[in-house]
Amino acid sequence: MIRELAFIDVLYLIAAMRWTLALTAIAFAGGAVVGLSVALLRVSPVAPLRWLAMLYVHAVQGTPLLAWLFVFFFGLSIVGITVSPWIAAAAAYSIYAGAFLGEIWRGCLQSIPRTQWEAGASLGLSFTEQLRHVIIPQAVRVAIPPTVGFLVQLIKNTSLAAVIGFVELTREGQLTTATTFRPFSVYLIVAALYFALCFPLTRWSRRLEGRLHVAR
Amino acid sequence: MSLVDLRDVVKRYGPLTVLDGVSLSVEKGEIIAIIGRSGSGKSTLLRCVNGLEPIQGGAVTFAGTVVNDPGTDLRKLRQQVGIVFQSFNLFPHLSVERNITLAPTVVKGMDRRAARELARTVLRKVGLEEKIDAYPDRLSGGQQQRVAIARSLAMSPQLMLFDEITSALDPELVGEVLKVLEEMAADGMTMMLVTHEMGFARKVASRVVFMHQGKVWEQGPAAQTLARPRTPELETFLSAVLH
Ligand SMILES: Nc1ncnc2c1ncn2[C@@H]1O[C@H](COP(=O)(O)OP(=O)(O)OP(=O)(O)O)[C@@H](O)[C@H]1O
Ligand SMILES: [Mg+2]
Repeated sequence: MIRELAFIDVLYLIAAMRWTLALTAIAFAGGAVVGLSVALLRVSPVAPLRWLAMLYVHAVQGTPLLAWLFVFFFGLSIVGITVSPWIAAAAAYSIYAGAFLGEIWRGCLQSIPRTQWEAGASLGLSFTEQLRHVIIPQAVRVAIPPTVGFLVQLIKNTSLAAVIGFVELTREGQLTTATTFRPFSVYLIVAALYFALCFPLTRWSRRLEGRLHVAR
Repeated sequence: MSLVDLRDVVKRYGPLTVLDGVSLSVEKGEIIAIIGRSGSGKSTLLRCVNGLEPIQGGAVTFAGTVVNDPGTDLRKLRQQVGIVFQSFNLFPHLSVERNITLAPTVVKGMDRRAARELARTVLRKVGLEEKIDAYPDRLSGGQQQRVAIARSLAMSPQLMLFDEITSALDPELVGEVLKVLEEMAADGMTMMLVTHEMGFARKVASRVVFMHQGKVWEQGPAAQTLARPRTPELETFLSAVLH
């Protein structure tokens, strides 16, 4: 049944953003936990731990996110384990975001000169104390722009969760197009809504970066 | 017993032998100036003393503790051996106060108020008490290096290692840093310092150690060794740096 694109459709699209936001929040929170662990393992003095973390990163970066969503949602149900779409999405996105954030944050940790580690070690600080008091506070500043950059990618990638039943922004756009047959207008609105989410983030990251730089 | 004792220390980076059987003893209160050409292993020698570099042969002992023993707690050792680097290596995200108090509070568990007092005390020694709340990027090179010295002093070390600490400074800033070293020497601090300042070595050091090709090539009382070198290599080195 084809009908006109109405104001109510725009409201539905805006409402669908909450799933986009919820998925992003879950993906980022899970990804941050995994990513921090990966980054710390990657700079650890224990070589096997570094290799393990590297293997993980390569494995995840070399496979599509879509595959992880399928594995956790359909794959597990085939072997008799039923998982809710939320659990499946949380697991798949944490694994995916964890690998990318892990790589980003490893780079930030390693961008701090070796002499800073040495200065800490020379004062009797342990490895974890050097990380906590000397390296991480400096790395955080470096990490903000690429982390926000990845977050923006993540917001857009939550649309993939449509395959396991989430009606988030992009999927809602598809549904609206199917009933109104106005793809151009609908997707223009969808794009504008994504932009409304992503643009302030980028702006905020710039401001934060500047502030941290001044405040040291 | 000597405070520091190096016995036949061998240090290699891959095929390159940087320390080739170095033996050296330092008594409490001595001031050792280590001189030698670039690449002769002076920095490496200092870094072996506080365990920053693992060694491939021989033994390094500090106050009876074998530094290169895998069972040695290097954290404990480093609380007693301060090191100051050519490039200062202050923590740029921390104020002068926090640079100084970080290790006393974190490693020794001192409370923040007592630590601030300690920071004042050591800053007074280097003449920078008024900079306690400044950040490193607001300080001149000479001031940064004096803060780095104060940061080491706050751990009350028994031995101080200095690696060309004036080499990165503008000439007019060298004096203020050397003055701090002289005062520490007068206080009886045991020091090993790598330096290119021959005049300073002659004036302050009790002994000069000349490194050449990864070995202690020649050593002796400062004035005498610098005035009348016994080996042609030291003679060549001295005439190159003095003229
Ligand atoms: N991490 C390292 N890896 C490989 N080679 C190194 C390393 N550190 C030092 N070397 C080499 O070891 C040798 C001795 O270095 P060292 O820094 O001890 O010399 P130095 O006497 O302090 O010289 P300078 O006066 O230039 O500071 C040099 O040939 C240097 O290239
Ligand atoms: Mg050197």
